Amino acid sequence: MGSSQVWLNLTLNTLALASLLAMLTIGLTLIFGIMRIMNFAHGALYMLGAYSGIAAAQLLGNFWIGLLAAPLAAAAFGSIFEYTLLRRLYRRDGGSFLLVTFGLSLVLTEAIRLIFGPNTRDVDLPSVLSGVVWFGDEPYPAYRIFLIALGIVVLASLAFVFLRTRLGLLIRAIAQNAEMTHALGIDVQLIRSLTFAVGCAFAGLGGYLAVPLITGYIGMGGAAIIDAFVIVMIGGMGSFFGSAAGSLLVALTQTFGNYYLPDFALVATYLLMICVLLCRPGGLFGEQE
Amino acid sequence: MKYAFPLFSVLALAPLVLPGFHVTLLTEILIFALFAMSLDVQVGYARMFSFGHAAPYGVGAYVAAFALSSGNLPLPGAVLVAVIAVFILAIPIGWLCTRASGVAFAMLTLAFAQLAHAVIFKWNGLTGGSDGISGLLRNHGPWGFAGLESRQGYYWFTLAIVVGSAFLASKFVRSPMGTAIVAVRENEKRAVAIGYEPRRLRLAAFVISNTWAGLAGALHAGFLLFVSPELLHWTLSGYVIVAVVLGGAGTLIGPMIGATLMVVGGHQLSAVADSWPLFMGLLFIVVVVAAPNGLWGIKSSIANAIAVRKAGRLEVDHVAS
Amino acid sequence: MSVTRRSLLTNAAMISAGAVLPSLANPAKAQANAIRIGVPTGITGNWAALGQQIQRACRLYAKTINAKGGIDGHSVEFVYEDTQGDPAACMRKTTDLIERGGINLITGIISSPESLAVMPRLNDWNALYLATISGAGSLTAANFVPNVFRTCTSGPMRAKTIADWIADSSKKRFFSIAQDYAWGKSSVATFEKLITDLKKEPVGQVLSPLGTKDYSSYIARIRETNPEVLYIAMAGDDATAFLKQAAQYRLADRMQLVTEVLDIVNIKPLADASVGLYGVSQYNFAYDAPGNAEFVRLFKAEYNEIPDTFEGEQWQALEFLAEAIRRAKSTDTAAVRGALEGMEIDSVKGRVKMRACDHQAEQQVFVAQVGKTEGVPYPVPKIIKAYPAEAVVPGCRKDSY
Repeated sequence: MGSSQVWLNLTLNTLALASLLAMLTIGLTLIFGIMRIMNFAHGALYMLGAYSGIAAAQLLGNFWIGLLAAPLAAAAFGSIFEYTLLRRLYRRDGGSFLLVTFGLSLVLTEAIRLIFGPNTRDVDLPSVLSGVVWFGDEPYPAYRIFLIALGIVVLASLAFVFLRTRLGLLIRAIAQNAEMTHALGIDVQLIRSLTFAVGCAFAGLGGYLAVPLITGYIGMGGAAIIDAFVIVMIGGMGSFFGSAAGSLLVALTQTFGNYYLPDFALVATYLLMICVLLCRPGGLFGEQE
Repeated sequence: MKYAFPLFSVLALAPLVLPGFHVTLLTEILIFALFAMSLDVQVGYARMFSFGHAAPYGVGAYVAAFALSSGNLPLPGAVLVAVIAVFILAIPIGWLCTRASGVAFAMLTLAFAQLAHAVIFKWNGLTGGSDGISGLLRNHGPWGFAGLESRQGYYWFTLAIVVGSAFLASKFVRSPMGTAIVAVRENEKRAVAIGYEPRRLRLAAFVISNTWAGLAGALHAGFLLFVSPELLHWTLSGYVIVAVVLGGAGTLIGPMIGATLMVVGGHQLSAVADSWPLFMGLLFIVVVVAAPNGLWGIKSSIANAIAVRKAGRLEVDHVAS
Repeated sequence: MSVTRRSLLTNAAMISAGAVLPSLANPAKAQANAIRIGVPTGITGNWAALGQQIQRACRLYAKTINAKGGIDGHSVEFVYEDTQGDPAACMRKTTDLIERGGINLITGIISSPESLAVMPRLNDWNALYLATISGAGSLTAANFVPNVFRTCTSGPMRAKTIADWIADSSKKRFFSIAQDYAWGKSSVATFEKLITDLKKEPVGQVLSPLGTKDYSSYIARIRETNPEVLYIAMAGDDATAFLKQAAQYRLADRMQLVTEVLDIVNIKPLADASVGLYGVSQYNFAYDAPGNAEFVRLFKAEYNEIPDTFEGEQWQALEFLAEAIRRAKSTDTAAVRGALEGMEIDSVKGRVKMRACDHQAEQQVFVAQVGKTEGVPYPVPKIIKAYPAEAVVPGCRKDSY
């Protein structure tokens, strides 16, 4: 493998990983932007997406069904949670949200273990995704190409919704000043619920998309949540573009770091976050607090 | 506090009547309670949500472990060394972390804790890496602390430190500096106008809180006689915040109750149900919904309600909200 | 069994209720003459998959032996406790089992740190611990204590087996990837020393942090170095993720993959992608021994599956323990310890001897290759060569060669 091939390989790996991380973090940052809460259960919803996607795909023998089932299941569960619990807590401080979402993540993780058992679970890829693409004589997994393409499509459509539609305008308005938006006669509660559901859907989708790389296992949610927080902070809390940029930056650090300086890969991401937060406490794209 | 003395007496006499295992469990509860109380100094009084509180705890435990194993210090000496080490480390880290506030502060503390975890995990030669350091001894030293070797002796040692710390902490939060910290929490601009320096006060709260966590960690090392990188894992930081919020932040006693419930609840629930995390999670959710100010908040809500009724007023809702 | 646990801990519930004094009462004994064995293992959390194997083996063992009238007429009961793999919790649960439950026989602890935390206390507790998963070499070397017996194979034994197997191969260039913690590092160190002695060349090494999700950078490095053999010292979910991604990059087309841990739990999710993989099989369901055939038959009847590595390892430990109790004619710690030392049994892995000097069980270790087999819907490890104990067990109280 020549050095140009190594670079191509690493670049594609960065993009594929960034794509996965973006799915995980966009939901978290959207929810923070509009509701001002750190959703600790985001990792558990990611895991719920993975397991329900696998279940649906296995039941119907079709990988693509999972892409639909995972976000739907996570969004449905998230909406029920938001409707029955979070709504009562909007006037409370951060501690209440932390406790209730932490509680939810314990409940969800254990419920998944009870239903699906403790063993690792996997999904069969269709032949178009399980193959390889050849660069010279180097095989590259088709699934990672698919992740890159999907990431671009999803981010582009979200950017469109965010910048060019009325819904996007309202979401940005609420993120800036919820009371003022409410005073203009907008149903803020509805938009909040909708955003929460969409945020959960992305967590679920991200979880299912990660399965062909890491499989579904008990503990995948806990492993994901800290990464997600770090990326959201680097990009800027509540900033959609920040979390996309943060995902890319973290993916770049991890991919190239693991290749060139594997011993420091463990701490590189945290050093990156410390540098960003000390220079810009609001994150790269966030507002200064 | 009028219950303090009776409570202390009961706890002090407990080992005379309790079987051995319960003394062990009580010791563990006391240590975790001290840990939670230390975080409350930051979270409750300065509203600084640290998400890396496992770091001072774990570092305190490791320093105490080194002092016991390599340094061959007597146990109280090892604890003292650990506290001093954590105090010294907390100053520069606190200085950096307090540049930010809110969520950014929380994430900075997390990042430093993760760095500390990585260092201890990777530095095999010194820390034993993932296997940790086992087989520690509660050294007597030249002045003879033989009594600490026994389970009861160590319990009383821990109890004395925890009660002393709680007493000091309650004095501290009512001291001029403590009230200044609360003033900054309530209204930073006004506090600045009066002449307070918020950054310096936050740093003070951070360092004091971290040092106390280091003390709890050192007690943990002496208690288990074993340390491993799990002590610095972010999940422990998460659990101690949960203990603070569960019990009621800003009350000192509330987080200690929360910590007690987490240790006892976790231990007992896991004994009767395989799926105990599910019930723990449900418990947290119920507490959040039913008791906005945590478990200790229930007491003051009841006290308020009684006071209101005594006063013959009808506008209960007004007061409660 | 869960009934026992409940009754055992009803007393404890009182302390949480604030009623301290009633807990003075002695723990209820479910059955006066029952032999009770404590199992502090991972029931929930990240270790739940391994913990399930431990529990399944114990449940089946209790059911089987009690149906035959127990051990010398005493029924066997297991008391399970959840440690979630946390050393502090493991310590608390074990203390509880021993001090309050009056149990002196412990087994099924999963991680090495948990084992290392508990071991120094066993003497004061006058309790025995049979290690069935913890592979850290130091358990029977630097950290040896008289009340611990390791009935399973250790990490160094597995590394030595692979090195011996490779000695016969013509391949020269080796790359190692290991999880960055005590076991992975010691395995790689043992392995690299052994192959260097064989005049073969270690061409590269990578340590991956625990919980790594994306292995693509490591795979790129391995491809660039282009070794003939890739030695893998990884376990658990990380191993599955790495093997899965390696298959997606078609790594096996370019080099031979050899893993130190070839467990069904890790390769089952890979399905056909695991076929052809080489590795160490600590226990293998297809091994031809009378004891194993009976165990596999019982296991299939109970769980409708073939047993995996630690189900076999746990079963072997329980056979050791039962035989020791029979010979000692009691469950007294010193008597059972005395019986175990030097004891030989015919187990699921054939003849196994518990050597007296450091309490490591001397047993053969298998090299296996993953392939399809009749009657099992997924690919499984098939033994290609067995290495006798003399070749793979390190010297007494040693964890290197």
